[in-house]
Amino acid sequence: MSSENQDWLSAASDNKALTKVQLDSLLGDAQLQQKLQRYHLIGSAMRSEVSSALPANFADNFMAQLADEPVYQLQSDRNLMQRIKAYVAVAANGSWLQPVAQGGIAAAVALIAVFGVQQYQQGEEYLTPQPLLQTQPIAGFATPVSLSQTTVTDRFAAQEQQAMLEQQKRLQAMLNAHRQQLRVMEQTQQAKQSATPHNGSEQNEQ
Amino acid sequence: MMRFSGVCSAIVLIVVSGLAQAEQAGWALFDKVQHAVKQYNFDTSFVVLKGGKVDTYRWLHGRTENQEIEHLIPLDTSGVDILRRDAIVYYLLADRPAFVTQSHSIPELPALFFESKQEISKLYNAVAGSSSLMSGRSAQLLRLTAKNAGRYNYWLWLDDESGFPLRIDTLSDQQNALERWLVTHMQINPEMPDSLRALMEAELPAATSVTNKALANNNQKLTWLPEGYTEVAEPASIPQLEKSLLSYWLLSDGLHQVSVFVQNPQHLPTQAYRDGATTIYVQTANQLEVTVIGPVSIDTARQLAAAVR
Repeated sequence: MSSENQDWLSAASDNKALTKVQLDSLLGDAQLQQKLQRYHLIGSAMRSEVSSALPANFADNFMAQLADEPVYQLQSDRNLMQRIKAYVAVAANGSWLQPVAQGGIAAAVALIAVFGVQQYQQGEEYLTPQPLLQTQPIAGFATPVSLSQTTVTDRFAAQEQQAMLEQQKRLQAMLNAHRQQLRVMEQTQQAKQSATPHNGSEQNEQ
Repeated sequence: MMRFSGVCSAIVLIVVSGLAQAEQAGWALFDKVQHAVKQYNFDTSFVVLKGGKVDTYRWLHGRTENQEIEHLIPLDTSGVDILRRDAIVYYLLADRPAFVTQSHSIPELPALFFESKQEISKLYNAVAGSSSLMSGRSAQLLRLTAKNAGRYNYWLWLDDESGFPLRIDTLSDQQNALERWLVTHMQINPEMPDSLRALMEAELPAATSVTNKALANNNQKLTWLPEGYTEVAEPASIPQLEKSLLSYWLLSDGLHQVSVFVQNPQHLPTQAYRDGATTIYVQTANQLEVTVIGPVSIDTARQLAAAVR
């Protein structure tokens, strides 16, 4: 009987399946359980497996060891930057920071655009001055610039240039006056005709 | 003998009637141009070539049953917008208050499009020319030839299909091109563009009352006028020149205007300039400096200057 028992117990220790009857007898008999444990131990020893099984009460031992351990007081000595970083990291996941950050970026872009465009426009104004009367070159007789040679003729040329510029200005003013007259002509004619209706027809007959 | 003279008179009749027909066809084309410019909804760009100088403009026009709107944007000078709503022209300036005048057309556009045919036919003969291809469109040439020398001639090309003007060359007596007006883009729409519709509703400054302050009494007399020209009575005052101006006349032949300024001499030699088709002629004589500005030949300007007494 015992040898029979030993046979299936030994087989069980080699990971063979148990029948229902054998399982019942194993669960019912403490002696058989101890035997199975021994067989397993023997098997392990024969397979030269290092026994690493933890004792059943390892948690109790661990607690006892922890109780002997000295207590360390941890100081929170993080500086300001680290604290802000941590705060931002928390806030970035929150719902309020994202819209604020987007608004900030938009404002920065708008500022750059406004100042950039202003500067660009200033540059353009400089590049394209109002066209003056371009019928004759101002300095058709230009001579190379020289600091050491300011002769009488050079000074005369400069004066002449100044005079020509002055004249161009005057002509431009008159040209503008002429254009202005064209703009208001129909208006003044209408006003005049409404004041003296006969005058206009006489003019057409002439 | 009788038969021969009969044949001759028949030939003469045919030639004369042919010429008359050509003239009629010319004016019919002219009507077509004026109709296109006044009645269509369009969005165009054009350039004005004056020697080495080029001015670029955008020109929009819209029309409803009883309202008309026209918008001219000079693309080279920033900050100016010219808008016409029916008979009021607004010069909308960026840095100054708007300048408002009463006129049925924008004076910055070619006057040919807007002056009445009666006025122009007094000065010009219209003859239809050949057809040619222009900007990928079939263009018909219309030649306006001045009836008397000294006045510029116009060659006008119009789109065969729509009658819209494509190009105007202003030619001197000697047929030299002085100025070219050229459409670079054209779009004719059945509906008024939205931008014009908005401008139609926009609130614009009111027209200023006519400041018809007459100029100071003319100290000199103008003893000669070019053919077809008359003096415009009481031209508007010129505040910026009032101090130096001794006399001023504005002359008009219905299509062109010429200004004559008389000032104290500035010791300048007699000289002539040209701004496209506009002649600027300065002459110093008899202790007076006379400046003539207008679309006339230099000869005419010289005669005008000499006629100041």
